[in-house]
Amino acid sequence: MATNAKLATAAIGPSAGAGAGPRAAQLLEWAAFRDGFLATVPLWLYIAPFGLAFALAGRAAGLTAAETIAMSVLVNAGASQFAAIALFAGGGDALSIALATLVVNLRHIPFAVSLAPLLTHLSWVRRAVLAFSLSDPSYALSVQKLQERAPGGAAFFLGSGISLYVSWVLCTTAGVLFGGGIPDPRSLGLHLVFPLSLMALLVPLLQSRAAWVAVLVAGGLALGASLVLPGSWSVLAAAAGGSVAGALVEARR
Amino acid sequence: MSTWLTILAMGAVTFATRALPLLAPWRQPPPFLERVLRYMPPAIFAALIAPPILMPSGGWVEAGLTLWAGLVGAVVAWRTRSMALTVVVGLGTYGLLRALVGS
Repeated sequence: MATNAKLATAAIGPSAGAGAGPRAAQLLEWAAFRDGFLATVPLWLYIAPFGLAFALAGRAAGLTAAETIAMSVLVNAGASQFAAIALFAGGGDALSIALATLVVNLRHIPFAVSLAPLLTHLSWVRRAVLAFSLSDPSYALSVQKLQERAPGGAAFFLGSGISLYVSWVLCTTAGVLFGGGIPDPRSLGLHLVFPLSLMALLVPLLQSRAAWVAVLVAGGLALGASLVLPGSWSVLAAAAGGSVAGALVEARR
Repeated sequence: MSTWLTILAMGAVTFATRALPLLAPWRQPPPFLERVLRYMPPAIFAALIAPPILMPSGGWVEAGLTLWAGLVGAVVAWRTRSMALTVVVGLGTYGLLRALVGS
């Protein structure tokens, strides 16, 4: 039994808790996964309008129902999916859309970097699954447990991420099913769903002078560049210019 | 077909941003790069919002219906922090103005 406990601890890591048998450790992991899943269910209310809006924007941009749902299944990153939809609507090419996705999702890197040392005890398969499910809210809900190395912290984090993934895919599907009968999206102003959704993501980020500078520079550059640069490249140029401007302002303080 | 390829590429790129730091040994990025990464999300959001709100017809900046809808949406986003309300009130403003102006 003692050997088994040691093996289990080695397999699952220090978070499994010393002295627990393999079965107890497994139960603990499952309970932590369930807790993470359930703790995140209230956030489905936050995901729902976002998923519905994404589905409407996707259909308005000319994507098929299957393509819109597949994007949520395969990408699982809301903000970058909205960005991609805007570029699809403007006839963007695959390379520029993939680059825009990369740029929007670069913000995951600091999250993942901060978690990496806390998850080294897990196999690379488990780390890959955790990586796929990583999102801003699941990170926010789990980071404290992970940093305290609480038992089952990684399982909680996974449960939270899977919970958000499930709701994201379900809400996208619901939006596709119920939003299909819209006759002329532009006459209803549905082309504004995307910029308005982004507005709700942007406004809470305006917490500092540097953030304002980043936003004003990027917005101004986007207007100017859209007159000269083709398709979505103007957005990438503006985002690069704005974020460097914000970083410079922060560095000067 | 190219749409599906684009979606697959998006999935791969997104997974890479989440997985590479977890799977590879990773040093802390230099401080300036870290700052640039921090301002990336607001910058790209602004770059995506500005043209459809301020240049709805693609030509030049105009103070039209979309600008008013965007301003109202920004106020709602600021006061409520709710995406649903921001979208609904912003769209409502656009619809109302459109009906009033008749364009």
